[in-house]
Amino acid sequence: MMLCAEYKRALLADPQGATSEMRQHVAGCDACSAYTGLLLRFEGRLDRALRVPLPSSTAIPTGFAGPLAAPRTAVHPRRSLPRRSRWLAAAASVLIAAVVMGFWLVVPGRSLAAAVVEHMSEEPDAWSRTDVPVAQQRLERVMGNSHVRLRKAAPMVSYANYCQFRGHHVPHLVVQTAGGPITVMVLPDERVMRSVHFDEQGYRGVIVPVPGHGSLAVLERGETMDAKAVDAIAVQVRGAIEYLP
Amino acid sequence: MKDAGVGNLGSSRFEALCQKLRPDLLRFAFWLSRDRALAEDVVQETMLRAWKAQDSLQDESAAKPWLLTIIRREYARTFERKRFVTVDVEDLIAQEAPTLAATDEQDIAELRAAIFKLPDDYRGPLVLQVLMGYSTAEIAAELEMSNAAVLTRLFRARRQLRVLCGEDTSLDPDE
Repeated sequence: MMLCAEYKRALLADPQGATSEMRQHVAGCDACSAYTGLLLRFEGRLDRALRVPLPSSTAIPTGFAGPLAAPRTAVHPRRSLPRRSRWLAAAASVLIAAVVMGFWLVVPGRSLAAAVVEHMSEEPDAWSRTDVPVAQQRLERVMGNSHVRLRKAAPMVSYANYCQFRGHHVPHLVVQTAGGPITVMVLPDERVMRSVHFDEQGYRGVIVPVPGHGSLAVLERGETMDAKAVDAIAVQVRGAIEYLP
Repeated sequence: MKDAGVGNLGSSRFEALCQKLRPDLLRFAFWLSRDRALAEDVVQETMLRAWKAQDSLQDESAAKPWLLTIIRREYARTFERKRFVTVDVEDLIAQEAPTLAATDEQDIAELRAAIFKLPDDYRGPLVLQVLMGYSTAEIAAELEMSNAAVLTRLFRARRQLRVLCGEDTSLDPDE
């Protein structure tokens, strides 16, 4: 039987790598359950901290002749860091987080969900309700860049873009359904262990795992559908996407 | 027909692959070196080496670990060439303040500064695990260490970070 100290050491070493022994331990230990929530919240911040913004000049010039060089950034002006903030607020939020055992696999997914919702504000026009499908060539190019394609039975796609998202370029689609437009983001580089539902800033959706191919975010705006309807569409969309070798 | 002088992937495919991976490579090099300008140099040199050696890349899915390995070696070479003197980490933090503070969240900026303060031996495995999604076994293989040693470093890295960030560590386990 695993001891609390062993559990915490293993958790600190690899918060996402819970073994069956760890799961068994935490299921019967309230203290470690609370500690897990606390640590996974920290882990979500750590993930965001490591994703430092990159200069817009990170693209590689076309053609390898100029060999792969992005212009080197100019010398940064020196600016001192703001003073340390008060940790009281952080501590309070940690306490709240610690109560919830379900945070085990959810926190990274939640930060991912927040990023998806944030991305929506960058392309508000995508949400237009329309009966006009996006050009097939554009759709194929957007999807092909990520080595995926839509099967013929897929819902009608009215918008397709290849977007910068958390350091990667990903397909951003809007499909038209009977209930209104639904946004789909194909996220081959974002893994979630199980479905993560979210309801933030007027967007409701789900991020579903796609084993071996990251995940898929499906969301609607304006509460025109309930969570079950979004889930059903997520299943439909997931089945409509073919991952190419 | 394969382009002249180009490996298994073809030049455009290889270029697209590098384009796709470049943000990850830059971030990895940045956390390795704690110096944005140096990171860009290292990534650029890495790309050149990768371009010359692309025939050795048999499988596109192996490109990312392959490039990360080249980055680590290239950084080590740069380090040797320049024979860096000991650098005050507070100077590094001040130098990279625009990057570290580029967020609306104060605690994220502070966490970035804390990551800067981690010893190299702890920071490297942590970045591979959290940012690059490496498993313990993959980190062990990359760094030529045992799984147990990797886990110890990851444990110490997080524990130190939590202390540096002023987290309540009263419930954290002893080593």
